[in-house]
Amino acid sequence: MDLNMKVLIVDDFATMRRILRNILKQIGFTNIVDADDGDTALKELKKEKIDLILCDWNMPEMPGIDLLKTLKADEQLKDIPFVMVTAEAQKDNIIKAVKSGVSSYIVKPFTAETVSEKLNKVFGD
Amino acid sequence: MSEMLEKISKNIESIALEVVMLDVQDIPALGKIVNCLGVLEEDSKEIDQPAFSELIQAIKSYIEKIILGEAADVTPLEEGVDSLQTILRHVSNQEEYGGDISQILDRLKFKKAEPDEAQRVQAVGTKEKEEDIQSPDEDLSEEDRAITLDFVMESLENLEAIEVSLIDLEEDSSDIDSLNTIFRTFHTIKGVSSFLNLQRINTLAHHAENLLDKARGGEIVLEGATVDIVFESMDALKKMIMGARQGIENRTSLDIGLDVAPLVNRIEELVSRADLIGDKPLGEILVQGGAVTPDDLAKGLERQKTEPGKKIGQILVEEKSAEPKAVASALREQKKFSSRQIDLQVKVDTKKLDNLVDMTGELVIAMSMLRQSQVILTAQDQKLERNLGQLAQITSGLQTTAMSMRMVPIKSTFQKMVRLIRDLSKNAGKQVQLEMTGEDTEIDRNVVDELYEPLVHMIRNSVDHGIEPPEERKKAGKNRKGKIHLRAYHQGGHIIVEIADDGRGLNKDRIIEKAKAGGMITEESEFTDSEIYNLIFQPGFSTAEKVTDVSGRGVGMDVVKKAMEKLRGRVEINTRPGEGTTFVISLPLTLAIIEGMLVRVGAERYIIPVFSVLESFRPTKEQYSTVEGKGEMLLSRGRLIPMVRLDRTFKVKGDAADPWESLVVIVEHEGRQMGLLLDELLGKEEVVIKSMGAAMQNINGIAGGAIMGDGRVGLILDMAGIWAIVQNN
Repeated sequence: MDLNMKVLIVDDFATMRRILRNILKQIGFTNIVDADDGDTALKELKKEKIDLILCDWNMPEMPGIDLLKTLKADEQLKDIPFVMVTAEAQKDNIIKAVKSGVSSYIVKPFTAETVSEKLNKVFGD
Repeated sequence: MSEMLEKISKNIESIALEVVMLDVQDIPALGKIVNCLGVLEEDSKEIDQPAFSELIQAIKSYIEKIILGEAADVTPLEEGVDSLQTILRHVSNQEEYGGDISQILDRLKFKKAEPDEAQRVQAVGTKEKEEDIQSPDEDLSEEDRAITLDFVMESLENLEAIEVSLIDLEEDSSDIDSLNTIFRTFHTIKGVSSFLNLQRINTLAHHAENLLDKARGGEIVLEGATVDIVFESMDALKKMIMGARQGIENRTSLDIGLDVAPLVNRIEELVSRADLIGDKPLGEILVQGGAVTPDDLAKGLERQKTEPGKKIGQILVEEKSAEPKAVASALREQKKFSSRQIDLQVKVDTKKLDNLVDMTGELVIAMSMLRQSQVILTAQDQKLERNLGQLAQITSGLQTTAMSMRMVPIKSTFQKMVRLIRDLSKNAGKQVQLEMTGEDTEIDRNVVDELYEPLVHMIRNSVDHGIEPPEERKKAGKNRKGKIHLRAYHQGGHIIVEIADDGRGLNKDRIIEKAKAGGMITEESEFTDSEIYNLIFQPGFSTAEKVTDVSGRGVGMDVVKKAMEKLRGRVEINTRPGEGTTFVISLPLTLAIIEGMLVRVGAERYIIPVFSVLESFRPTKEQYSTVEGKGEMLLSRGRLIPMVRLDRTFKVKGDAADPWESLVVIVEHEGRQMGLLLDELLGKEEVVIKSMGAAMQNINGIAGGAIMGDGRVGLILDMAGIWAIVQNN
């Protein structure tokens, strides 16, 4: 896994974005951007090349699953690895996300180790 | 038929291939298989083979378990797909399939034991004990502290915002958007607190989220006791979150030790009761409440048969059977409070902001001192002139920006009142509706904080005493539901906040009676109506129980007044018997700057706050008189008002001894007027208020100092103090 890749965090809750950013930094990522909702995420994706998306399930306006579906319907964006962040006990959501084509999912609360493990799997290491 | 069989067979083949190659951690591959199985499930309905369909179902749920990490063994899958192929072969050959799939079904249906709810509640109790032994969180890193503080701020903001949603929801339980907003907030708090090791916050948020999830699924209707419990959970969360903030600030434990177990148990009781009742009553309740027609409900139930996993509430909303209008209005509401507003902000310590404002104030002063210095004034250099002009422009721009940074919309303060009114009216057995206008009006951050308590006080008065009970209102020909209107707007450099109720109004006679008894007035004819009503702001009225009972006002209103005066604002009361009462608060835009009338008395210069100035004129001999026992008086617009000689008050030497050779500025304070005698009006100027320092803080009649353009100090007059001096003489 190339730690220089550009990661996009999508979460409406600023604290959660910060936590995710910290964890990604712990893993060794340096190139991190974030967005507070689906629309901003889409703009970010159009603006520059993103290599990985970590997106919260639970967001107003455009929930994570809708963003995922939008991306999957877009020829240029559909291949960007998309990792869904969900809460525990939301099993239905996880299944829905998997059906819609996520590369992986992580369940809150998570540690840098679990995230690193999941991401390594996504990038085939 | 054969076409369909072909399709099914191809589909199974590709599934089989995927299964053989399957890595249980390959999420995309698992997703593909689930989707294929979904198609297969649909298609299998065509061939009417119960065993086949059952097997597909079992395989699908097994794959889902693998996705969730609850199963890792692929063998049952391989066997299951194998059996599928066998059955299909039989069907293709039009033979009866006689095999036994029960064994493989058992293997696929392996169920991971889940701890039941009772045990989980128990677990809460034991966890708490462990925490009690936990040492204060000294080992938190700086980054963790910062994140926790972020969490505190963000959660509190969100919790405040959802209070309104919850009240909307209480009024209209079909308001799905409000419900989702509330759910999301609890959900997020739960999620983030789990990272920050805020165990109790996490536990409570988790259980409240469960309850709300049931409400979303339509298993529970949020009303009465259920809403109350959500409110309670919100309050408890706020308390614990604020506790966490204190813990961070004082470097002590983040856990305030609030026992959440009783609340959690009550929530769980509601949840489990909902589990028992199941779906059916919800439909009935919705029909009873008029939210859905019986036909729609029947349709929804019909659809539910085809989609067994779905809850009826969900279906009804999806079918738009449940009030699209309510959904639309709620959508608008949600936009207003959307969490987007809180983002893209930097949080800055208010102390730093105050410092910045202070420094820019100094800069403005330094700037004007520079401009007025002799060297500059006599310099003939155009370039210097131009540069100075630019510097002045930048300085004033900087000042405006610095000031605006402290401004926040009054909305959050207003929103807190929504909850207050709900609780108060419930307690008092009254019906009160709250209306708000101008919530976006911006106001100094420091003022907002100081405004909260007085607002609460006035609203409490309006609800407790102003608004009549429903029966009484009906008799008076009013709507049973009382109305309180919160209004905020700008007016002439001030922010006006109004609290208007449509209640019974003040009882003038009782106030006069009470005031006479308290020795505040002797003869009512001396007073205008407005002056009489404003008597309730006098300290003596604060314990006036009798007046409170009869006329309905007067409890602690002096506290309100004092708070407003501290903010250099004013509070007035307008009332019409039987029609209602309006409190009008007028506040300065900012506390750091005052718009002042610069006046000269002898060689000294003073600043009179413009908001208290009514007019100024040179009195004629006829207007001036002395009244026995009251001293010097002036006749202004048909009224006799006391005259204050500023030179004598502050013991400086004035120019002229006779009023008709000087100037008078009429000022108003607490609804009463007085005339200040002075020598010259120098103009209007915005000055930055400077504290006089601890040693000179309590000089009667002086509110503070300001550095003037020429570097000299001007004293800002304090009307309350001067009034007191007049009274004492």
